[in-house]
Amino acid sequence: MNPLTRRRLANFKANRRGYWSLWIFLALFGMSLFAEVIANDRPFVVSYDGQWFTPIMADYPETAFGGTLPTVADYGDPFVRQRIAENGWMIEPLFSFNHRTVAWDVTEAVPSPPDRRHWLGTDDQARDVLARTIYGFRISVLFGFTLTIVSAVVGVAAGAVQGYFGGWVDLLFQRFIEVWSSIPILYVLIILASVIEPSFWWLLGIMLLFQWMGFVGVVRAEFLRARNFDYVRAARALGAGDGVVMFRHVLPNAMVATLTFLPFILAGSVTALTGLDFLGIGLPPGSASLGELLAQGKANLQAPWLALTGFFVIALMLSLLIFIGEAVRDAFDPRKTFSDSPLDDALVVPGPRAATAAGE
Amino acid sequence: MTMGDTLLDVDDLAVTFGEGVREVRAVRGVNFTIRKGETMALVGESGSGKSVTALSIMRLLPYPLARHPKGAIRYQGEDLMTAPVTRMRALRGDRLTMIFQEPLTSLNPLHSIEKQIAEVLLVHGRVSRARVRERVVELLHLVGLGEAEKRLHSLPHEFSGGQQQRVMIAMALANEPDLLIADEPTTALDVTIQAQILELLMELQSRLHMALLLITHDLTVVRRIAERVCVMNDGRIVEQGPVDDVFTRPAHPYTRQLLAAEPKGHPDPASADAPELVRATDMKVWFPVRRGLFRRTVDHIKAVDGISLELKRGHTLGVVGESGSGKTTLGRALLRLMPSQGRVVFDGQAIDGLSWSALRPLRRRMQIVFQDPYGSLSPRLSVGAIVGEGLAIHRLGGNRHERRALIARALTEVGLDETVQDRYPHEFSGGQRQRVAIARALVLKPDLIVLDEPTSALDVSVQAQIVELLRHLQRTYGLAYVFISHDLRVVRALAHDVLVMRDGQVVEQGPAEAVFARPRSAYTRALMAAAFDLKTGPEAAAVSN
Repeated sequence: MNPLTRRRLANFKANRRGYWSLWIFLALFGMSLFAEVIANDRPFVVSYDGQWFTPIMADYPETAFGGTLPTVADYGDPFVRQRIAENGWMIEPLFSFNHRTVAWDVTEAVPSPPDRRHWLGTDDQARDVLARTIYGFRISVLFGFTLTIVSAVVGVAAGAVQGYFGGWVDLLFQRFIEVWSSIPILYVLIILASVIEPSFWWLLGIMLLFQWMGFVGVVRAEFLRARNFDYVRAARALGAGDGVVMFRHVLPNAMVATLTFLPFILAGSVTALTGLDFLGIGLPPGSASLGELLAQGKANLQAPWLALTGFFVIALMLSLLIFIGEAVRDAFDPRKTFSDSPLDDALVVPGPRAATAAGE
Repeated sequence: MTMGDTLLDVDDLAVTFGEGVREVRAVRGVNFTIRKGETMALVGESGSGKSVTALSIMRLLPYPLARHPKGAIRYQGEDLMTAPVTRMRALRGDRLTMIFQEPLTSLNPLHSIEKQIAEVLLVHGRVSRARVRERVVELLHLVGLGEAEKRLHSLPHEFSGGQQQRVMIAMALANEPDLLIADEPTTALDVTIQAQILELLMELQSRLHMALLLITHDLTVVRRIAERVCVMNDGRIVEQGPVDDVFTRPAHPYTRQLLAAEPKGHPDPASADAPELVRATDMKVWFPVRRGLFRRTVDHIKAVDGISLELKRGHTLGVVGESGSGKTTLGRALLRLMPSQGRVVFDGQAIDGLSWSALRPLRRRMQIVFQDPYGSLSPRLSVGAIVGEGLAIHRLGGNRHERRALIARALTEVGLDETVQDRYPHEFSGGQRQRVAIARALVLKPDLIVLDEPTSALDVSVQAQIVELLRHLQRTYGLAYVFISHDLRVVRALAHDVLVMRDGQVVEQGPAEAVFARPRSAYTRALMAAAFDLKTGPEAAAVSN
């Protein structure tokens, strides 16, 4: 690890709030990645009549447990549960629902309030809110991550090419971006939703078509600036080609601006899917989604646990991401990274370094 | 010296920035006094704490980041450190004024100069609103800005650097202060302008009978205008006294080192019948000026306009000129780093018109070192990677170990330890960085190095070392240099031949000895008077107008 990276890491850690936010976020996200193990309507292991079953991995017909139907066993069905309890045992996940499981045993009118079985209550189709939250959190974050990373790669590449070559390339590309960015993405999604059934990948693809432009401006500006730096000239004087100059010399120095506001774009992307789901043009019905949870909360004001859960989960997620973003910004702050002496940036008076201007 | 004589008394002043591990003690106990009407110089290299000392007098440091652990500053017996903010405000710009190094950034680009000078007058209520314009015109005449009435509404960018500094001085003098602090007032200016500004300061100082505290790194400036001098090093004043005493009989080793550091000596003799390495004929670099809807080319800026030169192996060609004369452009065009017209022959091969890829094999043999060592090294690459880049591009040095050995050798040759390979540019001082930049060129074993102001970003003591290093390398490898500089002293120490440029054209060209001993053109004479004696000859006045 080079000293620069080490210094940045130290700067990142120095922001205690961001540092802890990162760990909390990683813990939550790590847990949600294993959502199937935490909240699932299928047991891990069933021992029935001396035989072993692993329902979490494979489908077994109900007949395997003494039932009559050849369909896949429903382990929440009182009949099946009773048969297994009499003839063996089973180990279930912490919550025996997934995001689609309908809890038929709820006795009250749905959405039902939190109780011992459903910690956060159920929604208007008697599905467990906690399970839906875990799955919804996962898909939101994954969507946001993928969207941010892919659009960053595309946007940085486009910005780099424009800034580095300038001239006609830059001019044409900029006009294209102006036209392209005036396409209303929401209408595109609504039209799309009426033609096909939008899936995770469809939504991601459409969002990607527009999201990458956010990065172009910063990276292009950095490249325009850096291509006239002496170290770039020096590299060209050594005989380095365009590719080497761009990737080895300019890009690492241009990435600071991008990396600094990457976490904030990530926070925006994470809510993108939530927003679409809230409006009803997002993922297909039945998918776990924080946005749909919020929409339900709005439609069922008598069941405040729906809206409150949605609100607090999104608020927590965004707060953590913003805190992490602030710490990342601190880490890349050149004042904190490079200042061996605070004199450099403290004094407004140009130092002898600026003094040298006698040449052209 | 009686108490009545003393204008300003700085007593055991200390300045500290930051806290804990990031604490920097910029000034560590400084004592000096300034008497009424005298010129005092504060000399030191960058980082010695001289600017910080000056700013603490005005209380302009970024408090509370900056602190004064001890000391007092007394202006006519009144302690400025404990004075209330309102009192400081009343003093600043009225009794105590300051001018800075970079005049353009010190002036507000959006206000006319009349407004800016008038503001100083009105804030301190010395002049009634009705009489302000009259006083502004008077001040502009005082600082030698002709046709002041016509230029009252001009914005700062419409003036040249020297004129901007004159405007700054007019602002500083508006209320006839007791003390003018000038922080490197001429560093950003060309030599001929520098001489004019210094003469102006001297004249005004004696006419208005104010004290002048001059902060500078340039000993020639001190010798020219100061009566007393304080030499600062590492936050302390190591020596002070009358200029003549200090400069003729320096008591402190640091002062001796500083005085010895001024670039001197002469280039090693080079054989006159060395084979020719570079010949350029009628080189032109014209930048089109485009106007109108269809961006028609209406005119050209002639950065380099018909220059011919030749350079033999092992020789140094000094290219001299003031800013904007096109000398940097010439250097870059010679290396084909920017397009130009005219024939350029490198070692018998015409290189004008060659494509980028056709030039690549030749790039190994012609290298460049830039002015600013802070900008010419990529902050993200280790020193080893920076120096070794050329080796990788030209596939020299076989495997990784051989390459490392070559890099180590180049670093040793420029006087750095070979273990610095794994460190990063920000860990080095300016002089060390410039050595790295030279090593980057040297590792390729080139025949020609274009040195574009390689010493002007550096402190004087470091300048002399770099000049010595360049001479040594030339001796060892028979390198040819194109040495571009505005500093005639450095050029005299290095160049065999000299080419004086002005507005893209050659003013004078010939062997260095002849040019320095018997300059033929008036411009060269003016340049030399300004550079060596800091005086404006009659020619210089003609030149600057």
